[in-house]
Amino acid sequence: MNGRLTEQKSIYLQIGEMIETDILRGILLEEEQVPSTNELAKLYTINPATAAKGVNLLVDEGILYKRRGIGMFVSKGARDKILSKRREAFAENHIAPMVAEAKSLDITKEKLVTMIEEKYI
Amino acid sequence: MSLICEKIVKTYSGKDVLQSVSLELQEGKIYGLIGRNGAGKTTLLSVLTAQNPASSGSVTLDGMPVWENRRALEKLCFSRELNANAESGLAAMKVKEYLRIAATYYEGWDKEMEGRLLNLFHLEVKKKLGKLSKGMLSMVTIIVALCSKSPYTFLDEPVAGLDVVAREQFYKLLLEEYAATGRTFVISTHIIEEAANVLEDVIILHEGKILIQGNTQAFVDSARYVSGKAEDVDAAVKDLEVHHTDIIGRSKGVTVFLKPGQTVDESYDVSVQTVNLQQAFVALCGEEAQQ
Repeated sequence: MNGRLTEQKSIYLQIGEMIETDILRGILLEEEQVPSTNELAKLYTINPATAAKGVNLLVDEGILYKRRGIGMFVSKGARDKILSKRREAFAENHIAPMVAEAKSLDITKEKLVTMIEEKYI
Repeated sequence: MSLICEKIVKTYSGKDVLQSVSLELQEGKIYGLIGRNGAGKTTLLSVLTAQNPASSGSVTLDGMPVWENRRALEKLCFSRELNANAESGLAAMKVKEYLRIAATYYEGWDKEMEGRLLNLFHLEVKKKLGKLSKGMLSMVTIIVALCSKSPYTFLDEPVAGLDVVAREQFYKLLLEEYAATGRTFVISTHIIEEAANVLEDVIILHEGKILIQGNTQAFVDSARYVSGKAEDVDAAVKDLEVHHTDIIGRSKGVTVFLKPGQTVDESYDVSVQTVNLQQAFVALCGEEAQQ
């Protein structure tokens, strides 16, 4: 949880994504407790309601679960869930803007594919 | 518990500083009060806390009027900006004397916290208020606000004159206290972007009137900056609430505020960007500065 907040996106979405990224990198392990909303609020200097909104988003997706009176924990299978979610969004979030930019620069499909092959080592 | 003001009017020498202001402040939230110089922020805060009578209208806490009502006033703290000049009579008072007097006003005064904050801010209690810098005076007002333990605490420009590290320190202290107690805080500030993420709700006061009151994120999310060729921009934002138009040659940029269900028509060749709280505020309240 040591990324920096940016202005490009709602804060609660960024809080959710940072927790996900920590799970992907193995900084947060499955069945491990995640920081409380008050801890997140203080760390990022944000309203606890905003932090809670980000955490609850992941609870709704089954990535985190709540243990009553204790806090939020990483669900079993959370890592796979995040991987498949991000893979599904990859085309929309990353490929689509790249193709749009390529088109506006008159880069052909073939040229674009070659450029990707050169980068993908 | 909630603090409600209805149709507050405050007139100073024939001028309406507040024009029919109605607000509800719920328990357990951090509110931000933003507005330009002279918008009426300090007047509103002093009327809400019964330090200043309204010309008309009512302020009630849980249904009881706050004016000259000890039971209501015990729950309110207004830590105003300290002015330690010769006229205010505070210049010769020492920090510790000022805090001792403040402590007598609040039943729940937290002496332990007072000591901790004095240390944290490196404030010398034997120093006279008149010898303190603007930032140090702000620290004194922050100590009064936090140590008062009042369920409703109002801070007028608490970060004025503070350096960036101290400002961050203040917001962290505020969040810590809020997490521990759920007290309600109302904070006015001109350094909007630093406070934006801390404020659950925002109140925008402009020329004595409330323009916006509601969830900060929802307000920011409703604003967009649309730019491109002038006629495309005009077509894309047709029927929307448009503010703050910038024009350079053929290019035009406008800030729009979307009502639920409204969208910018992106079938036109325009760029649509999100804005932050400060930019949304400038679009709403900064129009005359453009002319």
